[in-house]
Amino acid sequence: METSDRMHAPAVAWMVGIVAWLVPGGGHILVGRWGRGLLLGGTVGLMFLIGLRLGGHLFGFAGQEGTNALLQIPPAIANMGSGLLYLICWLLNRGFGEGADLASSPTFEYGNTFLLVAGLLNYLVMLDAFDLAAGRKR
Amino acid sequence: MKHFFMMMLFAALVSVVFGVTARHTARERLLYGLKVFGEFMVIGLVLAWVLYFLPLR
Repeated sequence: METSDRMHAPAVAWMVGIVAWLVPGGGHILVGRWGRGLLLGGTVGLMFLIGLRLGGHLFGFAGQEGTNALLQIPPAIANMGSGLLYLICWLLNRGFGEGADLASSPTFEYGNTFLLVAGLLNYLVMLDAFDLAAGRKR
Repeated sequence: MKHFFMMMLFAALVSVVFGVTARHTARERLLYGLKVFGEFMVIGLVLAWVLYFLPLR
């Protein structure tokens, strides 16, 4: 019985998870953890913006010329973790540019790393918000 | 120096998220965040020195 309760998450937890993915820190704010939400959201957002500022590249699912489309999938999944930030950049076509000029920038790899890790950290933040909403964490 | 600052900034931001999501009390979070930050810095510096002595060029 206890295992079943632990396995079953209420619908609101899934909703909180989706909001947390879309808006970094938003899930925590929804469950009333304002401080944690602002701190986590601010950190992920700052990391994403620094990554863009450093000239990092955002990956999409479409294969680029001269590259294997399958190789784009793992970094694209990592980038997509940033939620709306990624979607806004996709709509505005910011950060998806490519070319030798961009790649030759000394901070290009730093930017990539910041962008990838921002997305991955937001997945972690999303799971934390989900657990809080499901009552698995305090 | 810019590279070191970037590493420090990266370590600090990741440590905040790890600290806040991985522990329960404020004290535990702070200590864990500081521990992760310290580990990032020490391992980063050790790797930098190891790579410095490797004949990669």
